[in-house]
This record gives sequence, C-alpha cells and structure tokens, in this order.
Amino acid sequence: MPSAHPLASKEASLFRNVLKFYETKQYKKGLKAAEQILKKNPKHGETLAMKGLLINCQGKTEEAFVIAKEALKQDMKSHVCWHVYGLLYRSQKNFDEAIKAYKMALRFEPESQQILRDLALLQIQMRDYNGYIESRRLMVMSKPQIRQNWTGLAIAYHLAGNLAEAENVLTKYEETLKQPPPKSDLENSEAILYKNYVIAESGDYQKALDHLETISRIAVDRVAVLEARAEYHLQLGKNEDAEKAYRVLLDRNQEKRSYYAGLEKSLGLEGDARLKIYEELAEQYPRADAPKRIPLDFQEGDAFKAVAEKYLEWRLKRAAPSTFTSLKALYGDVPKRECLQSLVEEFLAKTRAEKPAENGDKLTNGSATANNSVLIYTLYYLSQHHDHWRIRDTDKALSYINEALELAPDNADQGELRLGLARILKHAGDVQKAMEEMDSARQKDKSDRYYNTKCAKYMLRNDCNEEAIKTMGLFTRNDVNGPLGDLLEMQCVWYITEDGESYVRQGKFGLALKRFHAIYKIFEDWTDDQFDFHSFSLRKGMIRAYIEMVRWEDSLWSHPFFRRAAINAIKIYLLLNDKPHLAHGSLANGNGEDAVDFESLSTADRKKAMKKAKREAQKQEKAAAEAAAKAKDERKGGEEKKQDDDPLGAKLAQTTEPLEKALMWLKPLLELSPSFLEGQTAGFDIYMKRKKYLLALKCLLASHNIAPEDPVVHEQIARFQIFLNSNPELSPTVKTIIDETFTIAPKESTLAQFNETYLSSNADSAKAAFSVIKTRQALASAEGSKSDSEGTDSETLLFEALKKDGTTLKDAVEGLAMLKEMKGEVGNYAEEARKRWPVANVFAAKA
Amino acid sequence: MDIVMLHPSHIPHVQTCNITNLPENYFAKYYLYHALTWPQLSYVAIDLSKPPRSKHDPPKIVGYVLAKMEEEPVDGVPHGHITSLSVMRTHRRLGLAEKLMRQSQKAMVETFGAKYVSLHVRVSNKAALRLYKDTLQFEVEKVESKYYADGEDAFSMKQDLGFIWDKVKADDDALKIDDKKVEGEGAGDEDEGDPVGDEGQEDKKKKEVMRKVKIGRALGVSDLVEKVEQPKAAS
Repeated sequence: MPSAHPLASKEASLFRNVLKFYETKQYKKGLKAAEQILKKNPKHGETLAMKGLLINCQGKTEEAFVIAKEALKQDMKSHVCWHVYGLLYRSQKNFDEAIKAYKMALRFEPESQQILRDLALLQIQMRDYNGYIESRRLMVMSKPQIRQNWTGLAIAYHLAGNLAEAENVLTKYEETLKQPPPKSDLENSEAILYKNYVIAESGDYQKALDHLETISRIAVDRVAVLEARAEYHLQLGKNEDAEKAYRVLLDRNQEKRSYYAGLEKSLGLEGDARLKIYEELAEQYPRADAPKRIPLDFQEGDAFKAVAEKYLEWRLKRAAPSTFTSLKALYGDVPKRECLQSLVEEFLAKTRAEKPAENGDKLTNGSATANNSVLIYTLYYLSQHHDHWRIRDTDKALSYINEALELAPDNADQGELRLGLARILKHAGDVQKAMEEMDSARQKDKSDRYYNTKCAKYMLRNDCNEEAIKTMGLFTRNDVNGPLGDLLEMQCVWYITEDGESYVRQGKFGLALKRFHAIYKIFEDWTDDQFDFHSFSLRKGMIRAYIEMVRWEDSLWSHPFFRRAAINAIKIYLLLNDKPHLAHGSLANGNGEDAVDFESLSTADRKKAMKKAKREAQKQEKAAAEAAAKAKDERKGGEEKKQDDDPLGAKLAQTTEPLEKALMWLKPLLELSPSFLEGQTAGFDIYMKRKKYLLALKCLLASHNIAPEDPVVHEQIARFQIFLNSNPELSPTVKTIIDETFTIAPKESTLAQFNETYLSSNADSAKAAFSVIKTRQALASAEGSKSDSEGTDSETLLFEALKKDGTTLKDAVEGLAMLKEMKGEVGNYAEEARKRWPVANVFAAKA
Repeated sequence: MDIVMLHPSHIPHVQTCNITNLPENYFAKYYLYHALTWPQLSYVAIDLSKPPRSKHDPPKIVGYVLAKMEEEPVDGVPHGHITSLSVMRTHRRLGLAEKLMRQSQKAMVETFGAKYVSLHVRVSNKAALRLYKDTLQFEVEKVESKYYADGEDAFSMKQDLGFIWDKVKADDDALKIDDKKVEGEGAGDEDEGDPVGDEGQEDKKKKEVMRKVKIGRALGVSDLVEKVEQPKAAS
C-alpha cells in the first residue's frame, strides 16, 4: 500500500484494524482505532478517509464528506482516499460522481480488484455498457480461471447488444475446460442455458436448436429446455417436432395458454379441427380449465352455445364463485354475453327445480347442501352479470344477490356474497352502504385478511381514512412505525394510492401528495433493489433470470402503479400552480360545511383567509408531531426512525415551483410510456404552462396519434390553436416548426365550428360534451366575452349528458363538478342524476 | 387462468396479492431474491378476464407460490421450502393452489434434487391447514412455538416428494427417446448417446440425488408409458 505518509508499525497495524472493523461493521470500534492513529498523525490522509467512511456509516453524511475532502487534500494520490470518496457518493446515490472517484482510485491502484468491482457495479447500475465491458474485461484478464468473470463479461456484451461477442466469450471459457462439468454443477447448467438463450436471441434458431440438443441432458432446468425446444422447432417450421414438444409441455402444465397457442400453430389448426383438439385435451386432462375454456374464445353462434353450456355446467356444478370472472373477458361480445345470460338462467331454473329434494337436511346440519351451494353460486353469477359495467342493471343484480344471501346459512358463503353485494353497491355509487356491507363481510371471518383488505379499500372509497388505517392495522406490524409505517415499508402500493386519491377528493392536497411521493419512493427503492443482484446473480449463476430482471428494471417506471400515482400528482401540481391557496387544506373549495369560497373574496380578505389557514395548518402540524412523539415514547426500546418533518405533506403542497415538481413525474411517463395517452395530455398541460410550446406540441401530436378523437385531445387541439391565434411572441424557428407540424387544427372552419362539429359527431358521449364545454369556455375567455357560442347552452349539455346510454357514474360526477365550477343549477342536475343512480351518495339530497 | 413461472415483472402484483391475503409480507427485494436464486421454483396464476391495455402492461396476478431451496438444510437432505402461497378469494375453488404447488414441486426435484418440501402455517389458519393437509397432502411435522412475529405458533409441515421423482424419471426417459430420434433424423452426432451414460456414472459417484435419476434412466421404455399415465389417473 504505497502512501505518501507511511505510518509507524504500531499505527500501521492499527490501520489494518480500522479496515477490519469497517468490514465487520463494528463502526464504533473502527472510529476509536482511527482516532488513536490520528492522535499521533493528525494529517494522515488514509486514516482520515476511513474516519469519514465510518462516520458516514453512522448516518452523519455531511460531516463524512468534510472529512473525506480533507483526507484527499492530505493525500491526493492515495487510492484509499479516492475509493472512500467514491463510496460516500455511492451511499448518496450520486453514481456519476462515485464512478469518477473510483476511476481516480484505479489510476493510483490499477491492480485493485475491490475498486474495479465497485466501479463495475456502478457502471452496470447506470447502464454504462461500454464502461462495464471494459471493467469486466480487466477482471477476466486478472483472474481468467474464475468462470464468473467470463460470464460477467458475456453479460456485459449481451446487454450492450453484442450477442456474437457474448456467445464468443462463453465459448472461450468452455474451451478452457478439460472435462465437461458434472450434471450436479448448477452454475454450468445455467451458463450453458444462458448461452443457448443468447444464441436464440440472435435469431439463429437452427444454431440454437443444435446447441440445445448438445446440452439438454446437462441442463437441469427441464422447463427451459422443453420450452426452448418447442419454440425453436416452431420457428424453424418443424411442425411435427414442435407439436410433440408442446404436448410434452402441456402434460406438465395444462394451464399455460402459450402452450396451447404453440400447439395450435404447430398443427396449423382451423375450423372444426381446432375444437376437436381441445375436446381431446379436455378429455385427457379432466381437471384442466384451459382446454374447456379456450374454445369459448373462438367459437361463435350455436357452436359457442354448445361449448359455453358445457363449460358453464362444469363450473357452476362445482359452485365456484369465480365462474363469472372466468367468462368476463367475453362480455365485449354482445351475442356471447346474451347467450351466457340465457344459459345461466336456464341452469338456474333447472337447479331450482331439483332443489326441494335435498332441502330437508339443510336445516338439520346447518350447512348448505351441495345443491344449495350450486344454486347460491348460480345466483351469484347472475348478480355479477347484471352488475357488469356493460349491463349495469343494479336492481336485478341486487335481487339475485339478496336471494343468494337468504339461501346461504354458512358464514363462509355469507362472507363471499356480502362481498358481492358490497361491490354492487359501490358500483351503484352508494359508497357508504358498500362500506358497511364490506365490513359485515369482514365480521364473518376476522382472521381472513382478504376481507379485511377489501373493507379498508371500501372505507377509503368512502373517504373514511381514519377507519381504513385502523382496519388495516388489524393485520399490520404496529410495533415500529404504526400501521401506515408498516404499509409503507411493505410497499403496499394499492393502499397508499387509494389513500392519496381519497385525499384528492377531499381537497387535502398535502396529504395526497405525501402519499403519491411515497409511491415515487417505492419505485426508487425498486430501482435500487437491483444493485445487489449485479454481483449476487453472478455468484448464484442464474444468469437468464438476472437478464430478465435487468430488462424489467429498464422499463420499471412504465408500471401502471407508477402511472396512476404520476397522473394524480401532476393534476395536483397543475392545480396548485393555478390556485396556490389550495395548498392550505381549509381553503380548498367546496369541502366541508364552512369552506370558504376563496376566489370570490376581495384581496384583503384573501390575505386574511390565507393567514388564518396558515395558523390552522401550523396547529395541525404541531398536533401531528406531538402525536408522533407520543407514539414513539410508547414503544420504548423500539427501533429508532428518522422523524418525518412533514407528516401532513404541507411543505409538499406549498412548493413554489409546482411545475418543476410535475416534470419530475412527467419525465418517466414520456420516456417509458410514450403510448400512454394520459401521460401525453398531461405533458401538453405542463409544457403549455411552462411556455415550452414545441414540447407541448410534441405531446399533442403524440396524443393525436394515439387517439385522434379523444375528448381531451380535441380540447387541447383547440387550446393550442387559440394560443396561436393570440399572436404570441415566438421565435421564427419555433413558428416555422409549428406551421409545418401542427396540421391537425381546423383549416377552413373557425374554432367554434370545429368545436360544434365535434359535438355533433360524438353526440353519444358525455366526455365529448365536457370537452366541448371546456373548449367553449376557452374560446369565450380568449375573446373576452362570456357569451356562449351557437348550439345548445352548456348547462343543458351537461344535463343531457346524464341521459346518454354510455354515461357512467364517474362521468356524471365529473359533470357535477363542472356545473359547480360554472356556478350552474346544481339542484336540478342532482335530481336528474338521482333518477339514474338512485342510491349514489354524491347526488343524495341534503337532509 | 394462466399458470406461468414467476418473472421479475410480476413482482409488484405478486406483492399486492400477498399483502391482500396474508399477514406475512415482504418487500419487493425479497421476491427478487427468490426469483433470482431459484427462478424455476416460483409460479404465478394470471387473471385473463381483462385483456391488457398494451402488451407492456404487466398481468394481474391472482395467486402465486413463492418457493426456495433450504440453503443449509439442518438434516443435510436437499429440500424445498414454500415461503408463501396464496390465491385471491375471488379465485378460490379452481384448484389454483394445487396447480401452482405442483409446478413448483416438480422443479424442486428436477432442478435441485429436492427430497421433500416444507412449509410453515399459523396454527390458527384453519383454511390454509385444510389446503395443505387435505388437498396437497402435507403432514404436520411439529409445532414451532412463537414462530411468527406476533407470537403465534406455527405448524411445521412437510411433504415427501417421492411421488414426483417417479414422474421425473419417466420424463427423463421420455427425453432420451426424443433425443435419439433427433439424432437418427440427422442431427448427425452419433456419439451423443454415450456421454449421458458416463455422466450418469459420474453422478452416481457424487451424489445420491443423481443416482436416482440414473435408475430412472435405466428403466425401459415400456415402464415409462405407464409412469406417465399414472399420476394423471391419480390427479
């Protein structure tokens, strides 16, 4: 260890102890030893560096950086100092800086495997493939006898897209083996399968197949071998072999749909032959669902009826509550769903007729007889059928489920059915009663977390956040951070999201943002999670799984869990950008009985209201902090956690740069989910407000490409044209680009005409009506007039939207919100809405 | 319903399924740890009732089995362990748990030479106990006191995987037949057949686990056909 300032032998031995203590995580002892050295050699760079590292491990990052910098000042040419500097950055997740520091360390100590490994890990984490290849190459050169090093280099080439070189590297290592490794060598088994995977990815299926045949006996992942063989045969048009391979696979697993698809392809099935194969398979595998279910997808008319009847009977006779779920996918097809309805009704009639014979023992043994439960779950099917959103006949759904409930003496069935009842009520908009029913389902079996979960979810839908967390708390670990802390730690995305959405509904934007940011944090954690596997997987040798993980991580932020949170967060930030006063819970419009209509206040009153709101917020924060402190006292000896200095999200909501915050959410959407319409339309909104017109246009064009007739897209096209009509100051380049690319706006007609044409060509859509109204408002405000343009006036439009066939409850609620914004006649609207959604709480007349 | 091997992209939904149904929860990394150490052993059941909005959308998971090999078996016998298994209430009575478990168990034997599989279940969890005992034929080994964080005891259960070894033997032989056919058809490498025997010999020396396979391979073709049929009849 060449150092500018060598230590005396006693200190040198102490220094080795420091390193040992660090490696064994005995930070206190390590610090003590370091201090001992520093007493004599206060300017010893490497000891200072180690001190910084140890202090960082105790959570004092700032101090650690100060010391590490001092260490570098003392000993610029020490690889230890640079390595530590890199480690500090790494712990801060500043990987770019960490990589720079590691590279400096390597310059002074090119032989250090430790530093090289640390560098390589960061490079792959950052997807610096070229850097990774280079580091991996060095590692192979220094230790060519270790297989992991070769595999690592192959992975580097593979991920960089150089399949040939990846294969080449793997082969090179194999060639160094004097004897083939035994079958019990799992690392070898996986490595050869990995090589096969690489060959197949290059598209040379013949080569992949030939290779596969040479390894199939050594590779112990039997499924992988069989699946690969089947696929290669199919790709190569060797249909007979493919068929055989798929039959072997089906014999292993009869519920994997892709095996059936492969079998069909290999047989080139059409028409009756197709059905026949499934009939044979159904007979061969009587317990399998797929061969019975798949024909329902491709049969039509009477042929459909025949297979559907068989399938239904098989399922209904087993009284499976999930029969409807299995068939729901067919409901987009009107004749099919009508056929299913009449078949189930017939089955019900038949079952009813058989029922009395067995009715006797129902009462004696207290549990449903077989026939009775068949009847119950047939009724259950019909209730779900009528509750389906394409049908949504709430009365019928309720009458079926109620009949089923009367027949169900058993607690288990009662729970199941109450769950169904609650779902129907939720769909009908009676979130209060839905919650109560779900709670009664929960009561039937308090040890069942599924009921508990659904109950909490329904509480959130009813904006009962306190009750919800209490209910969740019945199953969470509450000793460390309480129920919410446990849910956050366990990454319970659904709960956090629903909680956040509930706060949005209540206008509590701080809390809502708090939750959505928790989702963001979970995605950051999931991104970080892969880090350890870059080295772990090489040790374990499961390379194919590792590659799949890396690729999944690359698209992680396109996950619908993230998208949902992102759209919510962006909407809040856009709102806060326009109306910053909403950051103060008590000033949010229309919430609570004594909510203030902030926008109608005079400037002076606004100031006063703001002050008052701030005071209230401070009080709440203080109370929350006290409660947290108290809770902490109560769990003595519990794990200490950092105090949350913004439990209510007030700081998040009061941001001075909401648009920048919105961008943080937008970027992953645009980058990884470009075909996600809501992401593109959100992008348009953000960029317009940021005055980034070309970026806004880019989003608009993308949206138009995805869904040209979408109501939001329509409105945004109009808004962009209105903006252009206002003669904004734009640079000539920008102007030219817009002129050349923005060709989707009306050329001949006026915007008003464009708008009304859209309305008439989308006459059956409530959302189109909303879009037309918003566009009218935009036009009116651009012209500085309040006059409604031609056509039916907007209030009437909203009213009429209620009666359209396709209008959903959610649409109706949106209409109500628009009407309120327009200061329209809410009473009539609610009355009309009640006709269609009689039990929906949102339209309930105030008592 | 689709039953497929656990893929990393399934993990968020598997995690949701787990925390919806069971009191023992894990962060995503723990699932990743399973998926990247014993990728062959964990399976998921996918709900097909809603076609995904785009092909990139991850599927909805309604059931899963998360399994591993015991890394340092106290008894020295290689065996699998079920970390977690659950099926959404809405998808019960479809035999999903059993179907998931069978896939996992088979891979435990084939890939890792497991002799048996073990699991823990809360003593109060009657439904799960019924599933493991009656449907899946597990037996209670012993009670582990205060196994769970909240102080509840666990039944330690296990199932011998001998019945799968038989099936695996049969599959192995079936594979060999296939191989020969391919060779005969002109893959050209006539020597291919021999190393299998040699390897078998080597395995015999090394591990008892592998010797089992050897015995299976030694079985005649006629024995095979019966073996393939047998488990089917039983199930």
